[in-house]
Amino acid sequence: MSVLAQLDLSGKVAVVTGAGRGLGRAISLALADAGADLVVTARTETQIQETAALVTEKGRNARPIICDVTDSNSVNGMIADTKETFGRLDILINNAGGATPGMQNTLVDIEDKHWQVGVDTNLTGAMYCTRAAIPIMKEQRAGKIINVTSGFGLRVARDNFIYTSAKAGLINFTRALALTYAPEIQANLIAPGLFPHDNPAMIEWWRGGKFVPMGRLGRDEEIGQLAVVLASGLTSYMNGQIVVLDGGGLAGGHAPTGFAPVIPLAEEHR
Amino acid sequence: MKILSLEGKKALVIGASNVIGRAIAVALGEAGADVAVATTTRSKHEETIVNSCSNELWALDRKTFALSIDAADEGAVDDLAQRTIDELGGLSVLVNAQDLPYAQAAGDVDIEDYRRVIDVNLVGPFVACRAASAHMLNTGGSIINVASVLGERGMAHGAGYCSAQAGVLNLTRALALEWAREGIRVNAIGAGWTEGMGILADEASTQQLERYLPYKRLAQPQEIAGIAVYLASDASAYLTGQVVWIDGGALSHV
Repeated sequence: MSVLAQLDLSGKVAVVTGAGRGLGRAISLALADAGADLVVTARTETQIQETAALVTEKGRNARPIICDVTDSNSVNGMIADTKETFGRLDILINNAGGATPGMQNTLVDIEDKHWQVGVDTNLTGAMYCTRAAIPIMKEQRAGKIINVTSGFGLRVARDNFIYTSAKAGLINFTRALALTYAPEIQANLIAPGLFPHDNPAMIEWWRGGKFVPMGRLGRDEEIGQLAVVLASGLTSYMNGQIVVLDGGGLAGGHAPTGFAPVIPLAEEHR
Repeated sequence: MKILSLEGKKALVIGASNVIGRAIAVALGEAGADVAVATTTRSKHEETIVNSCSNELWALDRKTFALSIDAADEGAVDDLAQRTIDELGGLSVLVNAQDLPYAQAAGDVDIEDYRRVIDVNLVGPFVACRAASAHMLNTGGSIINVASVLGERGMAHGAGYCSAQAGVLNLTRALALEWAREGIRVNAIGAGWTEGMGILADEASTQQLERYLPYKRLAQPQEIAGIAVYLASDASAYLTGQVVWIDGGALSHV
């Protein structure tokens, strides 16, 4: 098959968690552009209905399902609904996650509840979804799992314990999936750098990306296109791996900023 | 799918004489790019392969030419880059797939062989990056270095090859940072064990290796090549300084 034809996802069914906005919405729309039908899930009904409407506009089927990924009953129901509605599940995108209360607390100020909610949201939810989806994929003898971690899953910042631990956990969870279910099912990760999702406060907080080597912040649709590549036959031998999409941030970096572009060196070493 | 279309891109693949480089050259062509191809070393055998690769690209209606060079020869690489710009009308994608396999017990290493391995596998890609950058600093571009899982893990009798491959990974990161604001992206593909790479002694050693691989088989060259199309395309515009491993999961294992 010609190389670009392998990107066609027609006839495939994808579940995207955290699909109400941001990366999840962008991934959903990119998968729809590639031909997939979508189950779009999140906790907020109005948002997933909007995403579903956008998918439908592209001529693909979309089913919005309210789901809290930290609740395994809710997850099991969502995956069962997917199977019932579409009869299959080819692509699972564990994208739900993000900031949780107490995320920036000093260690002694982290309450048990902070830790649990943070880990449930950013790690356990992906396990619940994958655990529910795996029997369907095994029966099909095919499946693609894409977990969205973060640059903070590979490196850390001071006083950032909960999120970094959970996102790092997601990486090794994915590797274990990769080894366990190869070669029929592939599991890989996307690690986005700084993506402000058009939020002016985030753009301001990250200074428009001036500390990123490439000098700009990421655009959600860039993650969407990467998700299509990882969900497609183009990457059939790729497994247990991370694609870091961060404008060069993790390629270098100098503590404490992590994203400093160039630090002048002494004359004799230039 | 239009998101990875390489229509209008002008690519140069050095080392199209091995199975991975050849598969990448053809994949770039299938995706719409014009592609020049060159050997790793000057030999009749490699020349035959790049000629057939170029014929395949020509059959796809792409602009193409094949050249037999020593990929460690700075002058030859500079000339090749210039000829690509002249004949294809630009240079927007450079693939460094030059590969000189080498395995020898440390005590038996002839240091001239060792230097040659570093020269071809590590200095060669740098020379090509620099040659391409002279043009790409004005136009932007994407550089793809093909490295090996042996750049991330060690192997007995692999001192020369493993250290050269590891060098390619950090060459990738350093140049990515240097050119991040100049519109040149530099990434690497970390290739797993691939059919036809020629480093494995015989069929028996291949079978022995396959038992340890998560897929229980080697990669097909085409399975390595697919990601090159993504890295070459504008869809990966925010991706630089990274290694994308295509290894079937082998590196995930303890």
